[in-house]
Amino acid sequence: MLQISPVEIKRQRKLVIIWSITFMVVFPLLIILGLLMRLNQGEDINLGADTFYTLMTLHGLGMAGLLFTFSFAGLWYLVGTRQAKLNISVGYFVYTLVLIGVIGLAIATLIGKFGPGWYMLYPLPFIGVNWPAWSTGLAIVSLIIMGVAWLSGIIHLVSAMSKEFGGFSNLMGWQYLRKRKEGERDLPPIVMITTISLVPGLCAFLIGAAMLFMYLMQLLEPALHFNPLLMKNMVMFFGHTLVNITLYCCVGWVYALLPEYTGREWKTDKVLVYSWNATFIFILFAYFHHLYMDFAQPSAFQYIGQIVSYSSAIPATAITMFGVISQIYHSKIKWGVIPVCFLIGVAGWAIGGFSAVVDSTIAVNSVLHNTLWVPAHFHTYMLGGVVLFILGLIFYLSHTKEEQEKDKTAKFGFWLFVISIHCFIGMFYSGGLNSIPRRYADYKGIPIVSVHHTGALLAEIAALFIILLLIGLFIMYFAIIIKLSKQKNASLIKSV
Amino acid sequence: MILFINFLTIQTSAAIISFIAGAIVVLVVIYLFYSSSPAEDKVSAKHKVYKMRARYFFALVFCVIAGLIITLGFLPYPQFQSRPDETVSVVGMQWAWKFAPGISDKTPLQMEGGSEITLPSNKLIKFLVTSSDVNHDFAIYNTNGVLVAQTQAMPDYQNALEYKFPEPGDYHILCLEYCGIAHAIMVGTIHVK
Repeated sequence: MLQISPVEIKRQRKLVIIWSITFMVVFPLLIILGLLMRLNQGEDINLGADTFYTLMTLHGLGMAGLLFTFSFAGLWYLVGTRQAKLNISVGYFVYTLVLIGVIGLAIATLIGKFGPGWYMLYPLPFIGVNWPAWSTGLAIVSLIIMGVAWLSGIIHLVSAMSKEFGGFSNLMGWQYLRKRKEGERDLPPIVMITTISLVPGLCAFLIGAAMLFMYLMQLLEPALHFNPLLMKNMVMFFGHTLVNITLYCCVGWVYALLPEYTGREWKTDKVLVYSWNATFIFILFAYFHHLYMDFAQPSAFQYIGQIVSYSSAIPATAITMFGVISQIYHSKIKWGVIPVCFLIGVAGWAIGGFSAVVDSTIAVNSVLHNTLWVPAHFHTYMLGGVVLFILGLIFYLSHTKEEQEKDKTAKFGFWLFVISIHCFIGMFYSGGLNSIPRRYADYKGIPIVSVHHTGALLAEIAALFIILLLIGLFIMYFAIIIKLSKQKNASLIKSV
Repeated sequence: MILFINFLTIQTSAAIISFIAGAIVVLVVIYLFYSSSPAEDKVSAKHKVYKMRARYFFALVFCVIAGLIITLGFLPYPQFQSRPDETVSVVGMQWAWKFAPGISDKTPLQMEGGSEITLPSNKLIKFLVTSSDVNHDFAIYNTNGVLVAQTQAMPDYQNALEYKFPEPGDYHILCLEYCGIAHAIMVGTIHVK
């Protein structure tokens, strides 16, 4: 049986606290970039298009990278302290490389004005751009560095779990599909979910790395020419998978941590294995829905995109969300801030997931694609889902079970944050339904008066809710920092 | 279905369906807050929830299949298109649209054309859309400012989009794929007579 020493647990805890503090610093900074973008669209400030697109690129790259990295770090901590021995040096290696990558991206965007958006569609970063070639090069190299970090972390995590649980097939839960041997070790759901989330991530990062090397070759040899449709498939596979697994990584925590508050075990069984193995397939093939408006894409892929996107709702809702219901129903759970974070996060995932399914309908995508409906749905499940899961984990690190039940400041900050999030996102949904295009620095150049004015008005209202959600976030930070500093003082006294 | 489409735009339908779904999620969350007590043993609570899950599962599978059957009949792709009354060649470029009547035999860069064109109403128009530089998106906004159809304008590829303008007026073309610094002012106009 696995024994993880208290010293090792302490080391892993220190690492995850470093990740948490990094998250708490970077996250509001990236929100402020979003606030500036909405204020510019609302015509309250004038950034200029070049600055807007620079901020848009940093906001997108930063958020996608930060949320994935923290979701990975959270899994690393929970697996490394409960399920498998992980090498802490690999953990710090990942942290350092990600930090170097982030600094590189910040320089490329804020100083080099790199601004092709977080998923850059070939050949955009090379044609008709207003930033110097060095910033494109620096951004590509920074992304490669982050890719190396994530690949190393994933390979170590999955191989350590594989060693612990007797092979890859056991990590996928396939032993539950045959007659199990007597005394065979149970597979904790978090281990299976980690595998099912991170193995597609491995594929995505390998494809992403190939794509980035192609970009680098293009930068060094401008006469090269790659197929734009192939490049679009590569970038969408990478981007979609990254965002998708970010969410699933966090769902892994819910399986591991919610039972601590409901007092009910959440065990792996045959249904759970079928469900998550189906999710594995869906993660890999859903990305086709990003290319519906590329009529040149083979039609079979378009059908697969819609069928897979629709089907992914089945395991997500019938198994995981019903699993949450079965955990909570008549459990006499005490609603502290941690289980509330998880429950409302799952609700955000459900709402964002549903609006994603709506947009994954080809006939609907024809009139919603690249309108504000798109940021609406991904902000719902990232901000209203992933971020709440992350905050739940940070509260788990800072608060004891009793403290999180009683902490009224944390609860107040949480509800202010959640309500503001959904009002802020509501402006995106409304924008999508009013045909407001996404990724517009402002709407002044649109010759349709109603679109221009509605877009600007919704952006202004959204900016107000961003300010409110920042206040809610800082109130939660206050509650977290107080408890963390108390823990630090207590451990200092203990060590003296 | 036809009745449904006549009265509601796709956007309105999406809004109604999403609002209902969102409201159901909120109601479930409220129910969960209130149903978390009294305490019941795990086996009996699980049995109740799983009984409901089985029903939900079959209802969802039915909805997914029905949704796919209904919606996959309305696709914008060439195999669903019919014989057009007119053809227009369209080139997206940083940061303007070029329209030319008929099928252009020139390269996208060489094709000549302006950012405005006049077309008839109630005739099926086929737009042959491509790009001379980066990715753009050819999006048609109707006279009420509602997005009604779109396709990507991609270098090296030609996407065929069909649309019948139902009434005269000025229809605007916006670019819906981020294509560089002046993306937000890349507009064109179709005068429909």
